[in-house]
Amino acid sequence: MWEFWIRSLNASTIFAIAGLGEVVGQRAGVMNVGVEGAMLFGATIGFIVAKTTGSYLLGFLAGIAIGALIGLLHAFFTITLHGDQVVNGMGIWILGFGLTTYIGSPYAGPLGMGRIPTIGGLSPFFFVALVLTFVIWFVLFKTHWGLKIRSVGENPTVAEVSGINVVRTRYWSVIFSGAMMGLAGAVYALDYNPVWSYNLLMGWGFIALALVFFSMWNPYILLSGAVLFGALWQVSLNPESFLPNIFSRYIWRTFPFVITIIILVIMSTHWFSSRWGAAKPEALGLPYEKD
Amino acid sequence: MTEIKQGDIVLQARGITKRYPGLVANDHIDFEIRAGEIHAILGENGAGKTTLMSILFGLTHPDEGEIYVFGKKVNFRSPLDAIDLGIGMVHQARKLISAHTVLENILLGHPHAGAILDMKKTAEEVKQLCDAYGYKIDLNAKVWHLSEGEKQMVEILKALYRGAKILIMDEPTSALAPPETEKLLETIQLMTKNELAIVPFITHKLPIVLSVSQRVTVLRRGKIVARLNTAEATEQSLAMEMIGREVLFNLKRPDVKIGKPILQVENVSIYDDKDYWAARNISFEVREGEIFGIAGVSGNGQQPLAEALAGLRKASAGRVLFQNEDITRLSSLKRWKKGIGYIPSEQRAVGSIGDFSLVENLLMSYYYDDLFVKWGLIDTKKIRQLAQELIKEYNVATPNPDVRARNLSGGNLQKMILARVFSRKPRLIIANLPTQGLDVGAMEFVQNKLLEEKKAGAGILLISEDLDEIMALSDRIAPMYEGEFMDILPGGSAQRETVGALMAGHKQKAVEV
Repeated sequence: MWEFWIRSLNASTIFAIAGLGEVVGQRAGVMNVGVEGAMLFGATIGFIVAKTTGSYLLGFLAGIAIGALIGLLHAFFTITLHGDQVVNGMGIWILGFGLTTYIGSPYAGPLGMGRIPTIGGLSPFFFVALVLTFVIWFVLFKTHWGLKIRSVGENPTVAEVSGINVVRTRYWSVIFSGAMMGLAGAVYALDYNPVWSYNLLMGWGFIALALVFFSMWNPYILLSGAVLFGALWQVSLNPESFLPNIFSRYIWRTFPFVITIIILVIMSTHWFSSRWGAAKPEALGLPYEKD
Repeated sequence: MTEIKQGDIVLQARGITKRYPGLVANDHIDFEIRAGEIHAILGENGAGKTTLMSILFGLTHPDEGEIYVFGKKVNFRSPLDAIDLGIGMVHQARKLISAHTVLENILLGHPHAGAILDMKKTAEEVKQLCDAYGYKIDLNAKVWHLSEGEKQMVEILKALYRGAKILIMDEPTSALAPPETEKLLETIQLMTKNELAIVPFITHKLPIVLSVSQRVTVLRRGKIVARLNTAEATEQSLAMEMIGREVLFNLKRPDVKIGKPILQVENVSIYDDKDYWAARNISFEVREGEIFGIAGVSGNGQQPLAEALAGLRKASAGRVLFQNEDITRLSSLKRWKKGIGYIPSEQRAVGSIGDFSLVENLLMSYYYDDLFVKWGLIDTKKIRQLAQELIKEYNVATPNPDVRARNLSGGNLQKMILARVFSRKPRLIIANLPTQGLDVGAMEFVQNKLLEEKKAGAGILLISEDLDEIMALSDRIAPMYEGEFMDILPGGSAQRETVGALMAGHKQKAVEV
């Protein structure tokens, strides 16, 4: 049982870091559905850099950097060129999927470095995620910076006449958001499961994306959701140890995704949005054009 | 900055010119504003007020001309430059973030807001401002909970908290109920005592300008046509300057025999999009040849009520009868076919499709008519011909009927929408804010058309925020407040003050009729 919770929390670390990044971007009004793609980049580039240099630090930095670069790309297309955020996000996912498969295949196999030390089996990144959750909550709700980020996500026109540089605020938020996704990917490939293989993330980025909606854009709820999904994922991996011989393990494997879909459907109902809908950033998904 | 005294020139514009393709929005505008004065800028829609305002607030660059603030020449790159120099703006469409609290809105973008927000200190400072002007407002309330008047207070507080010495107000009274308007006028007069210069930009509601301002500058077609001391001006003379001809302020209400009820609404209740009550227990009837006016400040349930009657929104309780037939559950198309005409409040978002031509827009009321569409094929020639006839009859200024709706001015577009709806000869017309945003000329046209329909025996449900319009046109008046009818008064004898008080929610014990 102990083992199960450790594995769950380690998995939730990755959901949480990627999800927190997406929360910041969406709070600023920019949705990036290509979380999976940015994470794949972070995982693959981080893995390759760590393997070739033998340095974990450089690996993580590379993961963060490539994530930030993907964020910048997304920002450029959606903010400067007013592209559709969802379409461009899908593009990032497909790009990430294809390109990382191509770049990564020569490096397929285990990382072959000493494992990052754990605290009783728990990854140190779990504590990083805890700190990040608090810091991001504090920045969003207690600082002028956070107020600016939330304002450009709610109503960019109002922010503009209040003297806020909407474009710059959104850019930084989306770049930061990408960097977090890159970090999440690197944590997966360097710490959680240090083996590179084809499509190594198996849709974790999409779970992180769904978590953002589930969290109602609140970092604390996001963290709890991440823990829930971490546990669900472990259940789906080893269903025999909980409910033996009920379904095929392949059906169990779909569970986190089925639950994701159910949650998203509930959240998009009128019933839900009429009660909690106010949490959603009003300008989310809308390009901002000065008139 | 040197100390400003009453009467000092705080803002000066010299030769401001702004050209857009095909028109000169501002043509060598000169004026100056002094500390402690209320200086109204008056003009019709399209006279260049919006452009001038945008230029003064740094949203638009003038092609020519200079602006001096406190005697120094300035060049605004963005609103931030204007704000930093002490220019504050109170927008007509409130520029506030509804999901945030009052305090967060006031603090947003403030240069002295530290990295970590000190809400307590800000609250105290804002509180002092509130006390100075007699404002009572919950600083931690979310903005979407506030009334229009309160939102305007927040905008004013925000500007003052940023240190505004010159306050530009865009149509400051347009969304306010009469008592809120009075409170506003009181406040701005108080502010001028503190050397603040107030510059309201105003289209209509002329008496209000007259009552508080010291000077009036009148714009017409981008030029200044008059600079007057208010003391020398009259309502009639200002209106003449504004539109260049005499306006009929008294519409002739034709004598029409009121017939049998055409629309009966019985205990109708409606939810809004957030599942709150928008309208509760509404009962009334509209009769043939009658104009039934619903007076109210927007957001008091008129919009959902109009939508429910037009079949665009579900009524959660009650019955709607049209010519003695229950239509509560009928789709809007069936209602149009039965003879209901709907003029929506949002011309561009709901009343028309901007990228469609006028012919195609006209088709939206004719696509279900066998005379124009046979076997699913549109009789293009016929509908085009009808469009041409209507354009002529309704005096729509457009070179041809193939022009896209978005290229029409507000007044012309509204004429086209009226033409579309009225040409179907509806028995009942639901007119939701039919003259909102129109200039005086177009407004008069629309009001006269409504009276013509009344003469033809149609029942008209008129929803308006303009008390003068309601008073001038309606046979009966229902002031609406927070989703309820406060009363139903006979149009001829109702007192303006009574209706005004009722639409602000002041229910009087004994309403004298």
